[in-house]
Amino acid sequence: MDEIKIDRRQALRLAAALGTMFGFSALPEPIQAALRPTTAESVPKIIYLQGLSCTGCSISLLQTATPSPLAYITTYSNLSFHADLSAASGQQALTLIDSFIDGKDGEYYLAIEGAIPAGMPEACMIGSKPFGEYVAAGAKTAAGIIAIGTCASFGGIPSAEGNPTGSISVPAFLAQRHLDKPLITIPGCPAHPDWVWHTITHLVKIGMPELTKSRSPKLFFGGNLHNSCPRYHCFQEEMFAEKLGDPGCLFKLGCLGPITFADCPTRWWNGGRTWCIDANAPCIGCASPTFALRKDFPFYRTESESRTTS
Amino acid sequence: MKVELGPVTRLEGHLNVKTTVENKVIVDAKCEGEMFRGFERILQGRHPLDAQQITQRICGICPYAHGLASSYAQEEAYRITAPANGRILQNLIQGANHLYDYLLNFYQLSAIDFIDVTAILKYTGKDRDLIHLRDWVKAKLANGKAHAAAPFLPRLSGDYVENTDINIGALKNYLVALDIQRKSNQASAIFGGKFPHATSIFPGGCTQEARIDLILAYKALIEEVRAFILDTYLPDIMAIASLYPAYWNIGASKGGFLSAGLFPLGADQDGKRLFSSGYVANQTAATAPFDCNAITEETAHSRYAPHGPEKLAAGTLVPDPSRGYSWIKAPRYAGQVAEVGPAARLIVSYHHPEDQRVRGVVDGYLKKLNLTIFQLNSVLGRHLSRGISATLIADYLLEACEQLTPGQPTMAAHKIPATGEGFGLTEASRGALLHYLRLRNGVIEKYECVVPTTWNCSPRDGKEVPGPLESALIGLHVASPEEQLESLRVIHSFDPCLACAVH
Repeated sequence: MDEIKIDRRQALRLAAALGTMFGFSALPEPIQAALRPTTAESVPKIIYLQGLSCTGCSISLLQTATPSPLAYITTYSNLSFHADLSAASGQQALTLIDSFIDGKDGEYYLAIEGAIPAGMPEACMIGSKPFGEYVAAGAKTAAGIIAIGTCASFGGIPSAEGNPTGSISVPAFLAQRHLDKPLITIPGCPAHPDWVWHTITHLVKIGMPELTKSRSPKLFFGGNLHNSCPRYHCFQEEMFAEKLGDPGCLFKLGCLGPITFADCPTRWWNGGRTWCIDANAPCIGCASPTFALRKDFPFYRTESESRTTS
Repeated sequence: MKVELGPVTRLEGHLNVKTTVENKVIVDAKCEGEMFRGFERILQGRHPLDAQQITQRICGICPYAHGLASSYAQEEAYRITAPANGRILQNLIQGANHLYDYLLNFYQLSAIDFIDVTAILKYTGKDRDLIHLRDWVKAKLANGKAHAAAPFLPRLSGDYVENTDINIGALKNYLVALDIQRKSNQASAIFGGKFPHATSIFPGGCTQEARIDLILAYKALIEEVRAFILDTYLPDIMAIASLYPAYWNIGASKGGFLSAGLFPLGADQDGKRLFSSGYVANQTAATAPFDCNAITEETAHSRYAPHGPEKLAAGTLVPDPSRGYSWIKAPRYAGQVAEVGPAARLIVSYHHPEDQRVRGVVDGYLKKLNLTIFQLNSVLGRHLSRGISATLIADYLLEACEQLTPGQPTMAAHKIPATGEGFGLTEASRGALLHYLRLRNGVIEKYECVVPTTWNCSPRDGKEVPGPLESALIGLHVASPEEQLESLRVIHSFDPCLACAVH
């Protein structure tokens, strides 16, 4: 696993860079207590681009209620471009994207959903340019980059073993091109809307959040899923689900909670109504750096008839 | 003149359409799918139970349809069927997903092609959301910077609705629909575990229980969604239709209509479904049975090693970016171009002798609007078909809740055999979805998906026959050849999903 280590000094430098971007230079501490008021002018503009993605993260971002999607895209950020929502289309959309990416439309933050087909640039095109070229150009002009979802953060399914496109994550792509830019990764397949919106709001109102070594906000990704699972007592008392659909601890079915770091057990999904394990579905580790990457690491442990090895 | 419409926004993924326009009429159109990941290769050699998870990531808008098509295919390969409760829960998960998707297509993706968003500046009422939006757009425009009011402005030029009340009403419903789609997804996630990408769907059923508290919560949410569909969504479709009646005759595709059938009404996935499967050749009043073996894919103009029509079990995937004009393959049904989606689903169901209920409801709308069944093959016809599907599906979901038996199993036990194969068929919100898998040594040897937008945004085949969307655009009159708002209306009526189309 390719993890990027970030020390405290780097974190402060990142925070300062982001602070400048949000209009409060010389940020003394990465986290400040007081919330900053925002105005239509001070709220950061976001250009949201999609690479090798399924749009699941974008759809997930719409599954928020408090505040509403409208508040998030107008009050807490200004979502200047998103392919699913923008009225502008075609040449008009390209002009808009290009003017930000070329640095002509002022400060902006680049949000990336999806992986980058580094081995086959033609596998993702926007207009006549490969998607990767937008990321590379944006890495020079954007104030910072938010990698949204597991594909952008870690590679995810497009980068899984056997993929034909040489797909890689945003951090891996930036490293390959020797591009250095304040970067936050928000994994999850999809990313939980709170993880993304609250991170953006934190940036706007407080500053750079504390990050894990894979540059994900500690607030959401700092704790182990298994350790805070409401069925942890089932694990301790060895009340295990033996087959799919059984209640109890799902460990024996292959639950990947023990190697996954995300706050699903306390946050839950879709307005706090549900989450995987409450539906008796083993965690498949969708926020993990290794999610889905290896063919010989299946999601579940279940009974098979005798397998031959020929 | 040649005009590229890409990147076409307000749809899923990366679509370009290259058009040739002469005297304000499109004389040629080529749909280019511009994103490729290679799912069928990624799945090779994996444990088969990975498939209903991985294939959901083909599309984050309609993931459940993929999860179910994969589960159906695996059930066939494992020779199992879901218990009655399990099948109903699968339907409840998928049905709520359809409802949200129709609302998203109409309000967030398509309405902006008709509604004048600048009408918000004239708003004088007391609705807080609209006041917020008005003041926001005003402030942004006042600062004079380029692209200040994005994502709402700029937009293409064209003949938008002039009536301020209709515009304001639609903008309000745009915002309300955001809330309603969330509730529909919350309902599906109650049994699915989460949305997008459900973890509870498996071959043989659903791991969540059929518990009374969950059923009641689901019902309450769907009742609210249903009320919005009847009281707001359908009237809004009718309002647009009354202002743009020409669009009942604009945007027709030139092939047949295919539906894979939706919602098994018993435990057996091959039994009777709420919407029957089948194929209707254009302008013929008969539904032929759906035959998986009649489906082929070819790559005469696709970015893969060239091959003629291949059956799914023999399908190949050898990317070659130097070839063709699209990453989408060209699927054909018995050699013919076929449109899929809500209009095709209703056309097939309408002509199916067992679908009297669907026929009755569709007839009611056709009579009221003085339309023929084949006029559903149009821009407005596709929107109306989504609206009709939404009402039929919402009614079905509420009835299906009553058929659950709390306490009874929702999952069938299964063992993965070393060898086996299966087809999985369902209707995603965008139309006919087919998964095929073959096992060897207990792992996936072959996986093939033929997905709704693969059909609708198909490139030309070896005989140079254009795909459905291409054929629907050729002959279209456009007021501004450079911008082509009319083309966007046609494109959005198909609700393309490019991540699905190529996968």
